Amino acid sequence: MDLNYTAEDVAFRKQVRTWLEQNMPRQIKNLDERKAWHRRLYEGGYLGMGWPREYGGQGARPMEQAIVADEMARAGAPPPTNGLGLGIVGPTIVVHGTDAQKRRFLRKILTAEEMWCQLYSEPNAGSDLAALRTAAEDKGDHFQVTGQKIWTSGGAIADWGLLLARTDPAASKHKGISCFLIDMRQPGVDVRPLKQITGSSEFCEVFMTDARVEKENLIGRLGEGWGIAQTTLGYERGGRALARITTYASQYKQLMDAARRLKRNGRPILDDAVTRQKLGRIWADLEVERYGALRVLTLLERGEHPGASGSLTKLSYSEFEKRFMELAEEILGPYGQLTGGVPPEYRLEVDTAVGDHGTWAYAFLWSRAGTIYAGSSEIQKNVIGERILGLPKESRADRVGGTR
Amino acid sequence: MNFSFSEDQTLLRSSVRAALDEQCKPAHVRAMMEDPRGYGDALWGEMAKLGWLGLPLAEEHGGAGLGVVELALVLEEMGRAAYPGPYFASVVLAGLGLELGGSAAQKEKWLPAIASGRACGTAALLEDTLDWDPAATAATAAKTVTGWTLDGVKRFVPWAHVADVALVPARTPEGVSLFLVDPRAAGVTVTPMVGIDLANRWSEMRLAGVAVPADALVGAAGGAGPVLEALLRRAAVGAAAEMLGAARRCLDMSVGYVKVREQFGQLIGSFQAIRHRCAEMLVEVEKAHAAVYYAAWALSAGAEDAAMAASVCKSFVSEAARQVCGDAIQVHGGIGFTWKYDLHLYFKRAKGLEPLYGDAAHHRELLVRGQTA
Repeated sequence: MDLNYTAEDVAFRKQVRTWLEQNMPRQIKNLDERKAWHRRLYEGGYLGMGWPREYGGQGARPMEQAIVADEMARAGAPPPTNGLGLGIVGPTIVVHGTDAQKRRFLRKILTAEEMWCQLYSEPNAGSDLAALRTAAEDKGDHFQVTGQKIWTSGGAIADWGLLLARTDPAASKHKGISCFLIDMRQPGVDVRPLKQITGSSEFCEVFMTDARVEKENLIGRLGEGWGIAQTTLGYERGGRALARITTYASQYKQLMDAARRLKRNGRPILDDAVTRQKLGRIWADLEVERYGALRVLTLLERGEHPGASGSLTKLSYSEFEKRFMELAEEILGPYGQLTGGVPPEYRLEVDTAVGDHGTWAYAFLWSRAGTIYAGSSEIQKNVIGERILGLPKESRADRVGGTR
Repeated sequence: MNFSFSEDQTLLRSSVRAALDEQCKPAHVRAMMEDPRGYGDALWGEMAKLGWLGLPLAEEHGGAGLGVVELALVLEEMGRAAYPGPYFASVVLAGLGLELGGSAAQKEKWLPAIASGRACGTAALLEDTLDWDPAATAATAAKTVTGWTLDGVKRFVPWAHVADVALVPARTPEGVSLFLVDPRAAGVTVTPMVGIDLANRWSEMRLAGVAVPADALVGAAGGAGPVLEALLRRAAVGAAAEMLGAARRCLDMSVGYVKVREQFGQLIGSFQAIRHRCAEMLVEVEKAHAAVYYAAWALSAGAEDAAMAASVCKSFVSEAARQVCGDAIQVHGGIGFTWKYDLHLYFKRAKGLEPLYGDAAHHRELLVRGQTA
């Protein structure tokens, strides 16, 4: 047990910090500028660095990836783009794709020349993803896709989508699903922004009507889509483990500043014993998240896969974020709800979930998303119960029933 | 960066577990709960033989010279077994207290005796007001021709009834000072304070005109503050390790139980209400593990954030262990509320340690104070 960073990691961190100081753009105004920044990061060797070298990556260690993301969070650097392409689509193509698919798609994912989205969730297939109904019909020389997807992040800017669709309505629920690469820029694909409780639209709804998928863009074999989607893939595994904590810590520091300035009953809120208890508790929770991240990075560095214990991490930090933002709102009072006209001293100066300097109100509202997306807290607890604790499975209609 | 145990540490844990599985079964714990002294010579002797009693003490004094991580591993296993006896009092409180503040002669006299099990020590860190701040000490020590005279009342002194020596803070004109006191000396009255955890004993220790020699002063007069703060950090993390062990035992028992208990024609573990609770218990236990071993490492390595880590650890684990052990009773239902079922042994171990060496509120305040200073 040695929780110091190695000399190698310390040196690497310094190198990243220097590079960011010299290359980081001050502000990003549009998608083209974000793509340009993405490209610069890639060319600097700081993006897709966990990908295998033969596909344009660096084969970097998880800790190096975590350090890059952490330094970017520390510097308030604008995030790159095409996160789903880098994090999910690319690795899926590397593992399950044909040589032709790899040649055609991988490099342009890394450089963000082609932007990707993931077409998984449907209005009636959320936590129960395998209930999806979007159909892909074999038309001989191509597949014809009809159906509706929802919660598609980046749908509006995506050139391509990784699609799960039902190819065999007669097969059992999990066996009739196939995985495709679909061209988003075609008449049969209609992308509409989905306005969230934040008032912004980071997600979209995607309506597909007789949309076309070429035969060569099937991933894996027909009917194997569920297995492909279930495999936890990804080369960016060090990912945001540390960066997340650094962002929270920066927010916490700003919250302390606000608690010093604001008064209740004639005294700074920071002198209030109850508030101090709550702040102390959140800080302890945050530190424990950091220790947990170091524990996960240790596993990753040894080449082990965290598997189902990833559910512990996700459940823990997403629930933490909600508690943290509730406390922020409590301390900030109505300032915490401002989405406009925010006095500078109560503005949040760190990147919010989607990478903009935001407001506390925006960060607060976003905290409601984390415990729902990518497997809700309830789903994570099922996974922990079944796969880690080995508790008996619940009786479920779709486990007894078979076909639908 | 390596947050995993070394091969030696893993071996240490398994040897401690094996010994306690063999010699500290629930039946032994229950027997000791009824025993006037509260611990057995056989297990104490075995612990001495296996080197546990000197584990964190310097090799020159008969110790093994190991760090806080190894100590935490042993204590976690003791919590898991609801070990009855003065290990924590003697090795952590007296042993580390002397390591931190004792003179060469004091160490020479006491540490080999503690490491071999010949002597048992403790520390009297709490008084009437339950304030852990060393500066709050109200007991007094007056200088005499031959040494000092101590007066005051100490509360919740672990295993004072079997201790041969106690570290006792008392106020002198220079400030708070630390003394070695023989709990059997004239003027000392030790009265049992019987808590819910009968396997972990406390006493009230009254000092009325207790004469101690000049060389009973530990460190400089008025210099006890930093020593006590350093000791309290180690005690807080050590107690958290025991609580972690108790919590993990409660989790294991719960998971085992819900896999065999049937109601409504189904195993209760298949109900989401139960399964989700068990999942939440695991989350808390894993986080408590990270908190304990991060802090243990930080103290051992003298890391910059060691004091903060100790407070993070004790505040987090106090609450997590309370939650997990309480949830264990809940998922067990009625049987978990019976004296005969062993669950309450671990529930009470965690509960008993929750307020000691600073409860969650105490350590949260320390955290915020550290950020606003």
